[in-house]
Amino acid sequence: MKIKLELFGASRDFSKKDYLEFNLKERSSIKDLRHEILNFVENNFKGNDNYKKLVQSSAFCSEENNIVSDNYKITKEQNIGIIPPIGGG
Amino acid sequence: MLHAKIIDVTKEKIDLAKAQKFIASSKCGASIYFVGTVRDQNNDKKVTGITYDSHDALVIKSFKEIYNEAETKFKFKNIAVFIEHIKGYVELGETSIIIAVACKHRSQAYEFSRYVIEEIKKRTPIWKKEHYEGEDSKWLKGNPLIDQNQLK
Repeated sequence: MKIKLELFGASRDFSKKDYLEFNLKERSSIKDLRHEILNFVENNFKGNDNYKKLVQSSAFCSEENNIVSDNYKITKEQNIGIIPPIGGG
Repeated sequence: MLHAKIIDVTKEKIDLAKAQKFIASSKCGASIYFVGTVRDQNNDKKVTGITYDSHDALVIKSFKEIYNEAETKFKFKNIAVFIEHIKGYVELGETSIIIAVACKHRSQAYEFSRYVIEEIKKRTPIWKKEHYEGEDSKWLKGNPLIDQNQLK
């Protein structure tokens, strides 16, 4: 199952594009996706601690524009947004 | 009555006159304009500009939620609120956000406006990348939108 992870804020430093793509097993959860992103950081940025902390402190947003918890099951191929700690306004 | 919009700096700018027009009403005796601008210093660093990033759909949803909560909390009648936030690179002194509020009385306008900006700061998915003179640009740290305990 292909998931397009839309990047926002500091997570934009993960790629020159504004998204990353991950292949997850059917009915994976946000927790599994977070794990995959941590693996990506490990493999592409030598386990950069700041990037890992960023992933661990990020929320995720479903295609329906809802903030979803780690238990949320991803039941179809979709875009998911990574929402790092916010600092706007 | 609410107007909420993200302004892409490459296409348009935040316009105070639009806010004035939107909130104008003979039912309101007080109008407050909160205007956030880019300043030249932060944490002893010389700032040259800020790039704002946003999750547009979530931002608009958040603005509506904050407005609805404030309406319920304060129970003021005949309020008009205009919120626009910029997205993209903004130079020193330029406007990043405007919150215009019109209410019957001044105390109501102050209260409502203050509530809206403080809640936006806490929970609206907008990010800032500061650009400095002679140093690398940096994304500013912010408030996590998740309970860290759920990850343990």
